[in-house]
Amino acid sequence: MSMLIFYILAIVAVVSALMVVTLRNVFHSALFLVLTLFSVAGIYVLLEAEFLAAVQVLIYVGAITILMIFAIMLTYQITSKSIRQVNEQVIPAVIIVLVFFVLSLVTLIKTSWPVSNKSLPGNNTFEIGRQLLSTYVIPFEVVSIVLLIALIGAIIISRQDGPSRPGQEDR
Amino acid sequence: MMPPINWPVIYPELAICITAFIVLIVDLFLPGRHKWVLSLISIFGVLVALQIVFMNFGLKGDTKAFFGMVVSDATGLYFKTIFCIGTLLAIFVSITYQRREFPEVGEFYTLMLLSTFGMMIMASALDLITIFLGLEMMSIPLYVLAGIYRGRYRSREAALKYFLLGAFASGFLLYGIALIYGAFGTTNITRIVELIADGKPYSPFFVGVGSVLVLIGLAFKAGVVPFHMWIPDVYEGAPAPVTAFMSAGPKAAAIVAILRIFVITTPVIDLTWVFWVLAVVTMTWGNILAINQNNIKRMLAYSSIAHVGYLLVAITVGGEEGVSSAAFYLLVYTIMNIGAFAIVVLFAEREEFYENISDYAGFGSRFPFAAITMTIFMASLGGIPGTAGFVGKFMIFSGAINHGFYWLAVIGVLNSLVSIYYYLRVVVAMYMRQPQTRLVDIAISPSLMIAIIITLLLVIQIGIFPDNWLSLAKQAASLAF
Amino acid sequence: MFETLFPIFVLAFFAVLTVLIMFYLPEILGPKTKSKRKYSPYECGLIPQTDARERIPIKFYLIAIAFVVFDLEVVFLYPWAIIYKDLGLFGLFEMGLFILILLLGFFYIVGKGVLKWE
Repeated sequence: MSMLIFYILAIVAVVSALMVVTLRNVFHSALFLVLTLFSVAGIYVLLEAEFLAAVQVLIYVGAITILMIFAIMLTYQITSKSIRQVNEQVIPAVIIVLVFFVLSLVTLIKTSWPVSNKSLPGNNTFEIGRQLLSTYVIPFEVVSIVLLIALIGAIIISRQDGPSRPGQEDR
Repeated sequence: MMPPINWPVIYPELAICITAFIVLIVDLFLPGRHKWVLSLISIFGVLVALQIVFMNFGLKGDTKAFFGMVVSDATGLYFKTIFCIGTLLAIFVSITYQRREFPEVGEFYTLMLLSTFGMMIMASALDLITIFLGLEMMSIPLYVLAGIYRGRYRSREAALKYFLLGAFASGFLLYGIALIYGAFGTTNITRIVELIADGKPYSPFFVGVGSVLVLIGLAFKAGVVPFHMWIPDVYEGAPAPVTAFMSAGPKAAAIVAILRIFVITTPVIDLTWVFWVLAVVTMTWGNILAINQNNIKRMLAYSSIAHVGYLLVAITVGGEEGVSSAAFYLLVYTIMNIGAFAIVVLFAEREEFYENISDYAGFGSRFPFAAITMTIFMASLGGIPGTAGFVGKFMIFSGAINHGFYWLAVIGVLNSLVSIYYYLRVVVAMYMRQPQTRLVDIAISPSLMIAIIITLLLVIQIGIFPDNWLSLAKQAASLAF
Repeated sequence: MFETLFPIFVLAFFAVLTVLIMFYLPEILGPKTKSKRKYSPYECGLIPQTDARERIPIKFYLIAIAFVVFDLEVVFLYPWAIIYKDLGLFGLFEMGLFILILLLGFFYIVGKGVLKWE
């Protein structure tokens, strides 16, 4: 049963990911991205990583795609335009991506995965919280500073009363 | 047994971070014409951090901290010294420029300091996750700094290019980390080494792909060919002081991460031949493309690629000698490169119109001091004896010969000869060409003078009496093994 | 574990199924009129003057960015909140630091007037 669910989710994820990179309307691409991310969240649930699934839905499905749609709406008349998803370098890109794909496929098949024989902790959110605030406390605090700088950076870049002075535009 | 929390280890990072926060808050309350106060606070903060770094050299006992996430060993501290010096010089270079071109952006210094904080995290990280976060911490401010000159088209272009490609490279790094985690069940470098020593079986192919992906992510930040595409455009488009800043510290940070993952700890996979190829390609490609550049920032960008190639020679050599020569070369490179950019910043008008090498025509007679200084920096970058650059290159190539990499040394020396040609072009333009375009004025300011004089003195001092600095670099390397 | 989560998938399956039925059934069964007026945005209202897809002001984006950052903060709060008693003072201190740093970001956006909406 769980395999069936997995295959449904995987097919939805892959197909909508393909749609993201092939559709000619950027807005539709963004909506299909939501579907991809959502199916990935489903796969996390299957893998018994509920916290990760919740984060995936909250952050990626909820916030990141909203941000993308905002960015699309900020751009002048991009929704009504049909865009090209490829450029003249499509053939080399396809070759490189294929090589990479085969390489990772071979790796995934050939590797004997180190499977932990310990059973999963009953509630892994507890364990995540414990690890986050003991072993991974430095990355945890650095994350907050990364978030801060992302906020500051976004505001500097997109602020209206920025450093551009009239007559300075050189284009 | 994991070492406990050991606060003093991260004091330098804390100092930089707290300074950045203070600058951020003070900036909110300062009116536009008083923003120079922020630069003073930043300089003070970096000096404090530098002092703490020096104090940490004497740190006794276990230097690992925070459950083995960070370490305060001699290598890390040495590189932190480089970052502090680089940031300090870059701040001196920026002050006047920032007041002239974007006086309202007080966050400029916050961004610079937090980027430095990220580099420091990278230098002290013992865990792949921490290295990744340090890399992001370093890069995000750089993306913004590259585009901080928002009124200028090329600055925005630089920011966008850098951001898109940088995010892509981060993806590679993260994927590589994921693969390595899949192979070992941990991201902690010390733990991985322990596991291998215990004879844990692992699939070499799998780990190899993971390592190469991690290498790609870091090589992008360092600007190794073929991941160098962004460098010329970004270095050209970003404001000159920002270019000075990001050509020094971030490269050193990426190199220290490469050293830590691939050289200092027992390498899981032998990548010597990969580094060999990368070194040759990077040196040669950077130097060949630099020959034809007319824009001085582009020329310096390609030359910085070539310099990364020399550093890769040191990484290929590996071992104590490789690490010490790489560490020494990075210090020298930071100083002379920021010095050269300080001269580029001298132009009083918007530099994009006056950054061609031909604009330096007549510099020699009009501004003798600036011209002499620039000549010395160019000589040092080219590796002419008597300058710091020569000592650095000498250490790298002699290390290569000592370890039997004769071809690498030969190719490196040939490349240095090629590079002298394009560095000399600037000197020739300054002294032997008549100015054809309108004469450009220069804006001398005390802070810029301080930066130029410090770099000049250091370049000459290291060039003539390198012993103290060399022993420092040797110590940084010897304790790592 | 899978057994406990199984109802979620059943629910998701039926939710998607219901949506699909409600979406496509009228299309199959319902009568179809294809006139120009039918496809106008307001069938009984004013005739639209411009494209509805206008550019929205950058201010919205800044709000969205702030939202994402604080959303992430909440996500990090959650695993701490369920075991904060186990983690003790050290956990409290670290979490306080985390929130303080992000609070700094909040002060910053207020101080820079990002939230001002004239």
